[in-house]
Amino acid sequence: MIGATLSDLGLLVPELILVGMASMLVLAARRIQRAPVAVIGTVLAALAATLVAGWDLSGGARTGFGGMITLDGYSQFFKVLIGVTLALAALLSVRSIDRDQVPRAEYHVLLLLASTGMMLAVSALDLLVVYLGLELMSICSYILVGIRVEKPTSNEAATKYFLLSSFASALLLYGISLIYGVAGTTDLASIAGAFSGQDTGSNPLLLAAIGLVTAGLAFKVSAVPFHAWVPDAYQGASTPVAAFLAAGSKAAGLAVLGRVCLVAFGSEADVLSVFLAGLAALSIVVGSFIALSQTDMKRLLAYSSITHVGYALLGLMAGTPEGVSATMTYAFFYVFMTIGTFGVISALGERGEHLDGYQGLASQRPGTAVLMLIFLLSLTGIPPTAGFVAKFVVIMSAVRAGFVVLAVLAVACSVVTAFIYMRVVVLMYMKEPQEEAPSRFPVAVSAALAVAALVTVVGGISPGILAPWAVSP
Amino acid sequence: MNEYIGIAVILVLAAGLTATMVALGSTLGKKNSTRVKLEPFECGKEPFSLPIGKLSIKFYLTAILFILFDIEVVFLYPWAVVYRTLGILGLVEMGVFLGILMVGYVYAWDTGALDWE
Repeated sequence: MIGATLSDLGLLVPELILVGMASMLVLAARRIQRAPVAVIGTVLAALAATLVAGWDLSGGARTGFGGMITLDGYSQFFKVLIGVTLALAALLSVRSIDRDQVPRAEYHVLLLLASTGMMLAVSALDLLVVYLGLELMSICSYILVGIRVEKPTSNEAATKYFLLSSFASALLLYGISLIYGVAGTTDLASIAGAFSGQDTGSNPLLLAAIGLVTAGLAFKVSAVPFHAWVPDAYQGASTPVAAFLAAGSKAAGLAVLGRVCLVAFGSEADVLSVFLAGLAALSIVVGSFIALSQTDMKRLLAYSSITHVGYALLGLMAGTPEGVSATMTYAFFYVFMTIGTFGVISALGERGEHLDGYQGLASQRPGTAVLMLIFLLSLTGIPPTAGFVAKFVVIMSAVRAGFVVLAVLAVACSVVTAFIYMRVVVLMYMKEPQEEAPSRFPVAVSAALAVAALVTVVGGISPGILAPWAVSP
Repeated sequence: MNEYIGIAVILVLAAGLTATMVALGSTLGKKNSTRVKLEPFECGKEPFSLPIGKLSIKFYLTAILFILFDIEVVFLYPWAVVYRTLGILGLVEMGVFLGILMVGYVYAWDTGALDWE
């Protein structure tokens, strides 16, 4: 079947912009190692892609490439989110790439291509395209994690991430092949059609297929028990890369999980909600309790990101369009607050990576301390920040779906996480400084932090602001 | 089942031919074995060694480049077969594909991956 025409390329304009910029940077790689051209190009491409992706879709959803790629409100929402993540990550890394002597052009090319993979994955209507998009994202991420070749921790992180993630990809692929065996197709809508006549309980193959696909995707979003790589990968990666992974790859993974759960496995909602409820409960509990004992800021945030994925899964669990839009809201605000927190860590340099480095920060750099306070309040889920709105919608969605016990557990664990984040706040505001004041931040870093803080605050003040766009597929 | 007969014939032919060759070689051939001759042959490399030795990174680069162009050929053949049915879109898409491969090739050339020394 040849269902593709030239006009189908119109569905992929944001991806084409990113790939075009990446190709230009590759061709010029040797000539621009010392110039800020790569950062500027990447940010411009990211903004252009975001604008195109967010362009009003008055004609309704369109599909192309033989029904494999779609451009609907759902994919638009996540493409915009991914584009912004890319721009912020590129801005945050201006100082760290100089300090770590990372090849500039290659670094930005990998960021661009990883974002392309994410965008493809969120607009895919076919499991194989989902897989391809996620692989493009993952392969670029492995290299980004290990790009500081002189640092042994970076190499170790990249190796661990690569081995575990390839294993997860194999699980996902095996699940896809089993689904093909049962349903005879990899198209999401057709899978739903083929499944609707079957009884899951009596078909172990179907159960295994759904379980494997969910496990593979759970690994990409790092839900417990598929989380083991996260702390090591984030700690070994440079901080902006960790921010990019924590924000972008999780948003893309959640988007894919949302679409697959709702469109393909819609008829299997009973089975799926058991899987997802288990993943969510484990992630929330394990993530928040392990984070309690961390002293390395990046490891602390890694466990915190695991907890947040657990909260985001609360929305998907219900298997309803409202639940998916709750998860979309969560993913959106989570991206900004997590990038903001990682951004502050990155801007403080060596000092920011340890918990003790935050002692007395408020007296030395009041502005930075306030930004960090906003992000930490938001991560805890305290109004008037976006984190509160995000947690509210997903917990409400869990209650509506009848998971009251899980909702109570989620709220209880919020209190535990409050202790984790408030520890940093106490250090910042109630201790005397032990180290000399950090140097001024580059303009690019300050701009990225300001954008993240703005979204975090505005999202908290006017909670309904996202509602028109957070529409499930 | 009929369409599988060809495969069965090929299997029998291949097995028969190989068996004949080995049998002829081991019965008719002259044997004067030395230690080196008895080692399994593997492209001039030492066949058995612990995987802790050093291997030049250049082999890795060459292998990656080989795979790159191998894949290119793998895609070019079927494209050539269905070229007429794909029409202008096929041409554009293959152009994009080759263009991306060329970008990688230029990068490899530019950064000196092709210089052996």
